[in-house]
Amino acid sequence: MNPLKILSEKEKNEIIEKLNGQFGIKNIPGKIITRGRERLFLYSGNLGDGQIKKLEEIAFLERVGSYFAKMEESEEQIRLSIEGAQVLQNQITKNIFEIPEELVEEWMKGNELNIKTELRGFVIIKYKNDFLGTGKASENKISNFIPKNRRLKEKSN
Amino acid sequence: MRQNYTPKPLFVERMKELLGKAEFGRYKKAIEKPVLKSLRVNTLKISIEELKKKLEAKEWKISQPFKKNPEIFIVEGKYSIEKKSEYNPVSDGRIVEGQIKRTDLQKKLVDLEPGELGRALEHMLGYYYLQEIASMLPAIVLSPKKNDLVLDLCAAPGSKTTQMAAMMENRGTIIANDSKLDRIKILASNLERCGVTNAIITRTDGIPLCRKMKEENFLFDKILVDAPCSGEGTIRSSKKTLLMWNINTVNSLSKVQKKLLESAIEILKTNGEIVYSTCTHAPEENEEVLDFILRKFPNVRMEKIFIPVKIRSGISKWKDREYLEDVTYSCRIYPHVSDTEGFFIAKLRRAR
Repeated sequence: MNPLKILSEKEKNEIIEKLNGQFGIKNIPGKIITRGRERLFLYSGNLGDGQIKKLEEIAFLERVGSYFAKMEESEEQIRLSIEGAQVLQNQITKNIFEIPEELVEEWMKGNELNIKTELRGFVIIKYKNDFLGTGKASENKISNFIPKNRRLKEKSN
Repeated sequence: MRQNYTPKPLFVERMKELLGKAEFGRYKKAIEKPVLKSLRVNTLKISIEELKKKLEAKEWKISQPFKKNPEIFIVEGKYSIEKKSEYNPVSDGRIVEGQIKRTDLQKKLVDLEPGELGRALEHMLGYYYLQEIASMLPAIVLSPKKNDLVLDLCAAPGSKTTQMAAMMENRGTIIANDSKLDRIKILASNLERCGVTNAIITRTDGIPLCRKMKEENFLFDKILVDAPCSGEGTIRSSKKTLLMWNINTVNSLSKVQKKLLESAIEILKTNGEIVYSTCTHAPEENEEVLDFILRKFPNVRMEKIFIPVKIRSGISKWKDREYLEDVTYSCRIYPHVSDTEGFFIAKLRRAR
């Protein structure tokens, strides 16, 4: 498994800059931790970098904080997870797609939305006060990234 | 083929000895009843009022049984709208064909469908956690504060970790440990769904973890030891426990529990607190563990605890063993007393 990395202030600011460009986000309330190149974790606890490193020597650290975003390196963009969108919801000011009520269930079942919008690239899906993760808008559709274990399921008979 | 869930004779004998014959009858009736459908609002993501509104808009009937813990909801059922037509009776009581007097819409409370609580959008979005009421009590007793450093030694599947993170408003730090990878995956998934960002998940056996932490002087304000146990308290929701139960497991778990709690006490700060809990009634896994600890650590004291359900005090004698008097500060939670699952909770403080 890849080693744990606590991003420096400079690296964190680069992430914030991207998130600002995409969604208007100006602040990440905690440390950003990575393990590998893509998945970003948010840790809002009060342990310092030294204490986390010390803990890593004591025990195998499966996770530090919660997964909140993924670097899409090929596109130089960041995709927020459902939790990422929820945690940062008060700061999100652009690239929001307000989903109509009749499409909420389709979206939460993991289906792409066949819908034309002016938006392009990663968009935050929102229904009233609920933030439903991130989609990717192209000319005729919005692709869905809801992970399988978070999708609404048909009731089992 | 239908399974035979008849309790083993030794289990019945022990429960009768614990409760007395008359009370055992009430206990037996209580474990036949399904558990209440309870959930805990995840205040990291939504306010209590807002979730209540959302769930009531789905026609779910919600009650909040505890004034001091309004985040605990019981879903009593859902309202189904039924159309009821009545013919217009003429004055002598005869019904005249084709004549309808009124059509009433009647609200009737019905049970939720199986799995409906877990399938709801609000659950998928992490607005609530499905948790039995008794299982919410250890975290309420430990009551971690915003800047505490907390160890949840046997954390999976994460019900109490997510509860404590909410109490701490995602501040401080929770080290959430478990030893098995499959359980860690469920723990990680639950912490993520609930938006817990102040937790660090470690995967190590609890006893060596505590030993290494002690060597490194990594000490905690509060520790939860929700120990692996024989699960006698879970019979109401899982009858399979009756099939798996045997006295050898009780005795071997008792040894593990003593080691776990002993190890955890070693990494508690002065004046720090530990909550020890199990979901079993067996005194070997409960009072006997506490008695062992109190005799071994003269600087550790039992604390009186207050919880929002009816309880019984811990016992001071079982079979040929007499326990220290302070052990009775612990709480026994029985299905027929509190209308929950069975649990055992004790709080200890390290004095110096």
